[in-house]
Amino acid sequence: MSNFKKELAEYTKNLNKATQDENLTRAVTRAVKSYRQNVEAAMSQYPHTPALAEEVRTIKDYSMANNKELLERAMQAIESNHGQAFYAEDREAAMNIVKKIVGQGKIIVKGKSMLAEELNLREALQEEGNEVWETDLGEFILQLKNDRPMHILAPSIHVPREQVAEIFSKFFQKEIPADIAEEVSVVREFLREKYFAADVGISGANVVAADTGQIVIIENEGNVRLCTGVPPVHIVIVGIEKLVPTFQDAMKVSEVTWRYANYGAPGYVNIISGPSRTGDIEKVITYGAHGPKEFYVIFVNNGRQAMMSDENYRQALHCLRCGGCMYECPVFQVTAGHYGRTYLSGIGSVWTSFVEGVESAAPMLYTCLRCGRCVERCPMQIDVPKMVGRLRSEVVSD
Amino acid sequence: MTTNKHIPPVLELIRDNIIKYGNPLALNHRQNSSWIKDLDLPAKGEILFYTGGEYQLLPYLEPLLKTMTYIDPAGRTFSLLMGARKLVNFIGIAPEKIFAGMLAKDKDRYNSINYKAAYILKKLGYDLCYDAQGEIYSGALLYELGFWQDLQSYAVRVGQAIRKTQAKTVVCLSPHAAEMFKHVYPQFNEFPELEVKTFVELVWEKRDKLSPIPVDSPVVVHDSCRLARDLGISKEIRDILDSVGVSYVEPIRNKEWTTCCGGPGKMLFPEISKIIAKRRVIELTDTGASKALLACPYCLSSLQGGLNPDKPMVIEDLVEFIYRGVNHNVEL
Repeated sequence: MSNFKKELAEYTKNLNKATQDENLTRAVTRAVKSYRQNVEAAMSQYPHTPALAEEVRTIKDYSMANNKELLERAMQAIESNHGQAFYAEDREAAMNIVKKIVGQGKIIVKGKSMLAEELNLREALQEEGNEVWETDLGEFILQLKNDRPMHILAPSIHVPREQVAEIFSKFFQKEIPADIAEEVSVVREFLREKYFAADVGISGANVVAADTGQIVIIENEGNVRLCTGVPPVHIVIVGIEKLVPTFQDAMKVSEVTWRYANYGAPGYVNIISGPSRTGDIEKVITYGAHGPKEFYVIFVNNGRQAMMSDENYRQALHCLRCGGCMYECPVFQVTAGHYGRTYLSGIGSVWTSFVEGVESAAPMLYTCLRCGRCVERCPMQIDVPKMVGRLRSEVVSD
Repeated sequence: MTTNKHIPPVLELIRDNIIKYGNPLALNHRQNSSWIKDLDLPAKGEILFYTGGEYQLLPYLEPLLKTMTYIDPAGRTFSLLMGARKLVNFIGIAPEKIFAGMLAKDKDRYNSINYKAAYILKKLGYDLCYDAQGEIYSGALLYELGFWQDLQSYAVRVGQAIRKTQAKTVVCLSPHAAEMFKHVYPQFNEFPELEVKTFVELVWEKRDKLSPIPVDSPVVVHDSCRLARDLGISKEIRDILDSVGVSYVEPIRNKEWTTCCGGPGKMLFPEISKIIAKRRVIELTDTGASKALLACPYCLSSLQGGLNPDKPMVIEDLVEFIYRGVNHNVEL
């Protein structure tokens, strides 16, 4: 049997098994219902959102067509803000830069980042003898469970409170009840120490303004604020597709992102320009005040330029990662992240084709029903079914 | 046969049948046109009635899938089946036809939908033609499954078949075929220029001629993804129901937000496809309606397969439903 047939058989078995997981079905069904209610409420409270999304589509079109120039401008801006900017062609290059900055035997706290998942960043840093902590609650649960995210915004969507209690009781070596407030509290207490002990904080980014070099990170838990504000070093890893021309553009992209991620307003919007600084003594600017002393931004390609240069797939880079499409996907609704690798569901199959190759994406590509409801939801109107069809033709003619 | 290592084998099977026989399950012209009975439709004319052999496939699908569900596509049994497939080249019989044919059910019902559709359109005053000998499958699965290179030459064959009928308008029973004729084939060179209509649209245009249909309780409408999202047809179905005096209710997800019936996943992921169908059926039965109407062969087959025996619901094609309101003498 060929590897592909084996992989397909394994994948199919896994998908079918996922549909039998009652916890998963229950959790996702509830999530879909509340997503739809929340997004509807957010849209009626902020009815300008669809028009803003249209504007963002134009911003994204422009940004993809001028990505090289935006990258140069952003890197210059970051350097002039006293940060350091890097460009990494692929995973290896990105990880070499990160490893060089971090070194060995360090404590690292990190925020949720799909790019970090794509690069297997945590594992790679752990292999270097570093202690790495996921600080997003969902990611923290998965780190302890040795599991992978099942939704890009709600990574532990498939783990109910009872199972969380079990995992935490084992890890903290004390009885943690299946009470969500207590579960949250025990993690808060544990990670608080880690933030202050950490040598390095690592985050992703939702959008980067090329003119000011500012990084925008949307979050709710406050963990990103701590990860990026407390340790002496902050490293941002970000895909080159996240660049937009101006700070004002970045704000528009951010608002559309969180609105379609079902928030009227998220808990926090972090805007970071460089290392912390003060001019309070004699107006002499000194870097490394209360926040990080060192600030690094690594722009990663890893297949994105290929996507950008092909007009048939360029639009997939417009993805804001709001996760709305997944809630609308009939297959995702019964299998969650099992329909995926690092990137999930239909849009994930397009991304997987570029960051891992069509061979790896083939089972996912053939899972898509091409029903098109994701396009209805997508604020960027990404025509996933069309791209999936085209990629299938590449699989076939491979 | 292609021997590409990245294509699930069942897809190659379907592709080969389409290329070789002009039909995904290798059904022949006699099987595909047996529905015509006493309808006297010329082979040439202005308006071509196009079935694409799709409703005719339905009786074979469920039994075929039931068999496939127990066959691991990567396993030995499937390989044997694939081996048996080679026999076709010698004896001209497709193995999938042998076992699927033996289990075939509902053949009369699904075949009669073609008859009823043509009958309704004739009654409404459309002068139809139908090419019983020359009609071939639309090629939608070649497009869906990624066999775009094959589609180049297949488009020529479909174009020739249509041209032969001298039709200016093609009326499609399946929205999948309509999508091909309307959105895909026009991109190919030398494909004949055609006005493309669905059955629903033609009925909608003359809906004032339909007689009222008595019903006991409101029906629920299930929109097919292709029809509602790709072809933008959803209001027309409601208008038709209004004009025959039938009240209807809407499911929680409808029109451009409709939920897929799971049909497209049937060949590769039959179990998941079934679960999706069952979930859609729940959305439909939750309205309290006891009858669901739709206008797509694959939705019909999928939702039929997703019915809950404890919560009975009748799934009907719009064709079957409207047929009751058309004055007719022929009892089928």
